[in-house]
Amino acid sequence: MTVDISIIYLLDVATGDSVEAELRDAIEQAQLDDWHTKWQPALLAVLQELARKGVPMSQWPQSWHWNWAQKTARVQGLLAFRGFSVAALGETQGLAQVDLTKTCRESNQRGKPFVYLEYLEVAPWNRPKLGAAPRLRGVGSALITAAIASSEDEGFKGRLGLHSLPQADDFYRKIGMTDLGQDVAYQNLRYFEMTSEQARAFFEKEGER
Amino acid sequence: MTGKRTMTLNLTDAEMRVLDELSARKDITKTAVLRQALRLYQTIDARIEKGEKLLFENDTTKEKAELMLL
Repeated sequence: MTVDISIIYLLDVATGDSVEAELRDAIEQAQLDDWHTKWQPALLAVLQELARKGVPMSQWPQSWHWNWAQKTARVQGLLAFRGFSVAALGETQGLAQVDLTKTCRESNQRGKPFVYLEYLEVAPWNRPKLGAAPRLRGVGSALITAAIASSEDEGFKGRLGLHSLPQADDFYRKIGMTDLGQDVAYQNLRYFEMTSEQARAFFEKEGER
Repeated sequence: MTGKRTMTLNLTDAEMRVLDELSARKDITKTAVLRQALRLYQTIDARIEKGEKLLFENDTTKEKAELMLL
């Protein structure tokens, strides 16, 4: 498989400098190795610290139990799924996986194919809510941008949907997605959708940065 | 994803009509319809090969019907 690599720029929060990064349209063994050997120990340290401080589990990172090795193995070789990864400073900074076979629910685009964002996670050291300041900013946005661009590339006109973990609800509202409310059929997570018009507006806003 | 290839497809009038109709209704190109069909077919085939069944459920009556793939 050929992997498309785009150069993107992230923000080093400590120095304010921009950092060159690779956005890849695949999740390969190198990224899974990073998840296992770097993300997992970093996340474990964070969870131990949260437990020591008595922070209730409801405030822990809600993706703490995600297993990227299993997620990617489940869809290995299937055209319906695609992965994205961001690498910078010699390590994986974010991962995402999309499903290309689902259809929209929003009334103006109901039944039309879109990109469904199954999972998106940034490395533990890039999360702003884990005590310390994030190391790199822009990883999540880069992965969302890749998912919307993939929707354009597939001819789905930027249409995108996802179920959000509660800690990310505000982020998806902020980037202009429509909140279609809690989905009782999907662990009561809120369901968000982006229309073609919202995707265009998203890219225009990104272009102004 | 790079490396797309072009091929000629021979379809009957009826098949072409369905392709046109799906393309218009789903708001995607005819190529995108065929790529979706391929993705879905591969996904369903892989799950059936693993011993799973494909069921349709009527949202109102909750009646289930199994789709047989040959």
